[in-house]
Amino acid sequence: MKKFLLAALLLAATASQAAHHEMGHMHSHEGHVHDTMVDGQKLSVDAERFDNFVSAVPGDQIVVISVQGMVCDFCARGIEKTFGKDSSVTKIDVDLASGKVLLSYSPDTEIDRASIEKNILNNGLNTTAIQVVEK
Amino acid sequence: MANSGAQTDNIYWHYTPNINYSLGLDYQRDKISGEAFPSARLTYLINRKNTTTSQRNLYLKTGIGLDNSTNHFYALAGDWETRRLFAGFSAKQVSGMGYELFEQSVKLGIAPYLGAYGDLHTWLMIESKKDNLDDRRITYPVLRFFKGGALIEVGYHKKTDWDVHLMYRF
Repeated sequence: MKKFLLAALLLAATASQAAHHEMGHMHSHEGHVHDTMVDGQKLSVDAERFDNFVSAVPGDQIVVISVQGMVCDFCARGIEKTFGKDSSVTKIDVDLASGKVLLSYSPDTEIDRASIEKNILNNGLNTTAIQVVEK
Repeated sequence: MANSGAQTDNIYWHYTPNINYSLGLDYQRDKISGEAFPSARLTYLINRKNTTTSQRNLYLKTGIGLDNSTNHFYALAGDWETRRLFAGFSAKQVSGMGYELFEQSVKLGIAPYLGAYGDLHTWLMIESKKDNLDDRRITYPVLRFFKGGALIEVGYHKKTDWDVHLMYRF
């Protein structure tokens, strides 16, 4: 009986968490894709998230990386740790929902796309696009 | 990582030099033989396929006793997951300790909600196992929680009692 009650308690907690998250996600995603063209491609990021990121690092260079295989927090943590070791990276944002990594670099940094791609690969993930957003 | 189950309790530390393999030290108490022993372990990533929404892995795992090399195991394991679904399998052969064990298992899971990075993530899972020592297949529910670098997985079956798995990724 105790085991049944414990299982029921755990399931109830899970259902409560699910409801909390689902309510937080009940909003329209229309207009949440910037129309900015970068390298001939649309910059497909969450607009609000992107704006918040950019406003926190005024003047910095912004890089948007499209990543494959990033399906859990462990993957995201590895990315964050790897780029966090780079002193020229001033801010990192990992968006699991969209499979994007946002990086900001100090203004005088020369962006090395090959190095970025290598860092993603060293974490067991793949890069499909690296977009440097013009200031 | 630490595991406690019907057949063994163990604590396992491993280091991943690159994505292709990890090396580890494991200290295990075998509940069938009553032996406790350290072993060295290797996990090798045979193949990985990433897509925009999924990752699929195939691993070879092996280990050998450090104080008694007759104790060893090898296993083939794989998984496929998206942010919502999980499917995994394992086929493991354990030798030494006075018995031979072949265990096969399958695990399926679903995330009832999709948390953002840094949230508490929850998985509702079901695991099904069978081994040659007890020819019956047992199937039981598993709850997995993880947040940040910490993961806890708890399963229960009336025959094997609690199966607990704790992991922290540094």
